[in-house]
Amino acid sequence: MAELKEITRKLKEIHEKIKAEIPWEPIGHTPMPEIPDLRNWDMKLLQTYKPFYAPFCDLCCFCTYGKCDLTEDCRGACGIDIATQQARFVLLACLMGCSAHASHAGHILDVLIEKHGPDKKINLGTSVELEAPNIRTVLGLKPETLGDLKVAIEYVYKEIAHLLDSTHMGQEGSCLDYESKSLHAGMLDHVGMEVGDIAQIVGFNYPTSVADTPLVDLGWNSVDKTKPIICFIGHNPATSTVVVDYLQENNLYDKVELCGVCCTALETTRYSARAKVIGPFSRQLFFLRSGIADVIMTDEQCIRTDMPQEATKAGSALIAALDKAMYGLEDATDMDTDEIVKKMVEEKKHFAILDPKKAAEVATKVAMAIAPHRKKQWITEQEATELAKKCSMCGMCEQACPNLFDIGRGISEVAKGNYDVIREIFNLCVGCGKCEEICPRHLPIFKIMQVGASKETWKVRTGRGPIMDTEIRTVGAPITLGTIPGVVALVGCSNFPDIRDLAEIVDEFARRKYIVVVSGCTAMAVGMWKDADGKTVYEKYPGDFDAGCVVNVGSCVANSHISGAAIKIANIFAALPLRGNYEVMADYVLNRVGAVGIAWGAYSQKAASIATGFNRLGVPVILGPHSSKYRRLYLSRKDEDEWKVMDARKRQIVETNEPSPEHLAYVCETKEKAMVMIPKLCIRKNDTPQGRAIKLNHYISLYKKYMGGGLPEDLPLYVRRDADIPLVYKKEVKAYLTQIGWKPKEPVGLPTLIGTYPTKVPVDSVIH
Amino acid sequence: MSQLAPSLPFHRVNILTGTRTARLVEDPVEYAKQIAKAQRPLLVLGPRLLKITLGGKLLLEYALEIAKTKNIPICATATVKSKMVELGVQPDSVYDVVEIINALKDPNWKGVRKEGNHDLVLFFGFRTDLGEQGLSVLKHFAPHLKTMTMCKYYYPHADFSLPNIRKDEQWKNILEGIIENLKKE
Ligand code: SF4
Ligand code: SF4
Ligand code: SF4
Repeated sequence: MAELKEITRKLKEIHEKIKAEIPWEPIGHTPMPEIPDLRNWDMKLLQTYKPFYAPFCDLCCFCTYGKCDLTEDCRGACGIDIATQQARFVLLACLMGCSAHASHAGHILDVLIEKHGPDKKINLGTSVELEAPNIRTVLGLKPETLGDLKVAIEYVYKEIAHLLDSTHMGQEGSCLDYESKSLHAGMLDHVGMEVGDIAQIVGFNYPTSVADTPLVDLGWNSVDKTKPIICFIGHNPATSTVVVDYLQENNLYDKVELCGVCCTALETTRYSARAKVIGPFSRQLFFLRSGIADVIMTDEQCIRTDMPQEATKAGSALIAALDKAMYGLEDATDMDTDEIVKKMVEEKKHFAILDPKKAAEVATKVAMAIAPHRKKQWITEQEATELAKKCSMCGMCEQACPNLFDIGRGISEVAKGNYDVIREIFNLCVGCGKCEEICPRHLPIFKIMQVGASKETWKVRTGRGPIMDTEIRTVGAPITLGTIPGVVALVGCSNFPDIRDLAEIVDEFARRKYIVVVSGCTAMAVGMWKDADGKTVYEKYPGDFDAGCVVNVGSCVANSHISGAAIKIANIFAALPLRGNYEVMADYVLNRVGAVGIAWGAYSQKAASIATGFNRLGVPVILGPHSSKYRRLYLSRKDEDEWKVMDARKRQIVETNEPSPEHLAYVCETKEKAMVMIPKLCIRKNDTPQGRAIKLNHYISLYKKYMGGGLPEDLPLYVRRDADIPLVYKKEVKAYLTQIGWKPKEPVGLPTLIGTYPTKVPVDSVIH
Repeated sequence: MSQLAPSLPFHRVNILTGTRTARLVEDPVEYAKQIAKAQRPLLVLGPRLLKITLGGKLLLEYALEIAKTKNIPICATATVKSKMVELGVQPDSVYDVVEIINALKDPNWKGVRKEGNHDLVLFFGFRTDLGEQGLSVLKHFAPHLKTMTMCKYYYPHADFSLPNIRKDEQWKNILEGIIENLKKE
């Protein structure tokens, strides 16, 4: 009885928060879900896509009972085993990622509520009525004002605290439960990101309801070195936007150059298309050491932790503008502006300044004061050769390189006057600086690398925010029927193993009329490549959410628009109610939306949570080889596993024997393999014969192109009937099928997992 | 089979050892003995075999020779299959590396020849980061089998590993020594 009362009280509280009385849609089974609420859905996923753990460390040193050796079947002093410890670690990574976005969102929301008031209406333009698909689905709330977004972010904060609690020593003891919690954290991450980006679009007037956003300059050579230069590094535009305002208000916008590294760069271009994008995180240290920036302003996430030391070395001035990274600097927020400027110019001091207006004024004044006295020249080939002659070819740098380069060979070739090897390595370098640090001869490797750094400039299309409802109406049917062969989303960091892979993947799939979506550092990296006609992918393909287009949604937080687009397909196109109805949305996406995420160069914890959030929503993710260091994948075993679904029309559980999608989180070693996995992971049970034939056409043709001929070994699993076989390969495929004794099978009318596991959701809910 | 760390791994940033670490073997005779002792060995080949030549020969050719000496089944990963076929050898199975490791983890798996799971798995031609992570999976979750590496880097998570080898000549001699001795075994 007491329990029932508690549930009722809780539900009442939830209903108040989500304004249940406004009847825009019926409320589903899980408004504002807590840890156990979607656990059955997770367990269903984990039954097919079992966690695959690759321990990165055999030990646990989380508490002072340890270090505990967890090798093979040893357990820690608290009783934990190695699999559960990996799962706990993954949950922590997801929580770090989720917190980074949520805290960014919460901060920017506060800044914007302060500026515009809590009643500022959310208006994302005439083509975006479904403004917040993640928030609506997860919370059941339709946010109308900035103030409503507060409800969403506070829900995320609360859940993060519960999840983090579970990682404490001596608690959760099941790797599967930890996975369910990671999936929960991933889902929350998409809510947090959505709050952040909606707030930014509304509060800063970013582009929305438009596909054709401006193309902006990309690359360090796009920066005008004759002007004072301010460089923003990080993710949160709270400061950079104020600097733009300050320059405009003081008629200085022509006199000062603004540029950025990482997502803040993308954010700033959404506010002012005149800002320049230097590049992704991997170019951060290299750019810092070049000394081109007069003033560096840091905010949060993926900023180097040795920023003051590096800024001092390069003779740049540093302002830490957000409390998340204050570097031990003196907090000058309450100090007199002229006093700060004087100390920064004359004493070369760095400061933390947490008032954006003050920080903007100081940055401008310092940049203008010090720029005329600073040298910003690249090293010449002769100088590099002289420096490189000190190299003893000891090979220590190669041992330290996380991307496995023989950097010493590059340096020794520079000593001989050959710059080709260093050029090649520079393109692939992730910019960690480990080689230079370890060099016993103290060679300035980054400086020498300047001779290998491309002086080219490229273009990147400014982030456009949410996918429009009108676009979803156009592509919903072809995506779910399979005639648009898939949505390929390249997300997150762009480091390993080869930055050029990304542009090639984008080009290949845009040419094949997939819908290609990019975000974050990847959005920059794909722009750093030109075809034979000198065009970047942004100049080659339009920015619509449509077949054969390349959409840049924006920075990291804009990833929520990609998951949002998948939800919109279920809600707008298939007319399934989404309010507090996460399972139905995820089930629809998993079984019917041919979307795949690629986090090819991911290294951050944010990438872990973004990807895990996609996984809970039923979107598989492909990772690059070094991402095996994330410790966990979700793999099926196609020969052994069951592939049962409910045919909602017939109300029957059927064995399809079709592994689609085959894995949920998968590592490929090479770009070639990824090229083949992408079309395969876009296959869905719902494909019409025509759609399936198109998808298999790409699968086969990419297999032939990248794997060197023949037919994919598992092709028969994806051919249901003759009509699924692509015309071009009909003869070859039929001969193969006959040879292995393939038998046709019935396609499933309306595939769903609802009804195959314990859930409150009735099968009727998936029928539209 | 593993022991306390006798050597530091090559790509140190990626690979940190725990308490148990691979037995470092430099002697091709001993390596060949271990392989010959196995009932159902498996050779898992990675894409680096197509990129590296040793003594004018593609690394893949060494791998195929090793397989031939004892009719060791081959699992081709990534893009290895097509080059193998070009060299006139059909792989016994095609999986990507995480997939074959996932299967090997299962003691009841039938193996690539359906004769039962393998008791010794030789890895050859992977990036060290991915390779070491894969070996870690098997070290912790596949006590039913042993692992061995053929690359020129020390792999702590394997059961048997070659040392870090700086000179290609030395690597070539070891590989040729293994092949010679396997022929004799
Ligand atoms: S949390 Fe558990 S396994 Fe880790 S150190 Fe403490 S007792 Fe050992
Ligand atoms: S800076 Fe580049 S070359 Fe140097 S160790 Fe890092 S990735 Fe390797
Ligand atoms: S560590 Fe320094 S001296 Fe040694 S090879 Fe590398 S650059 Fe040359």
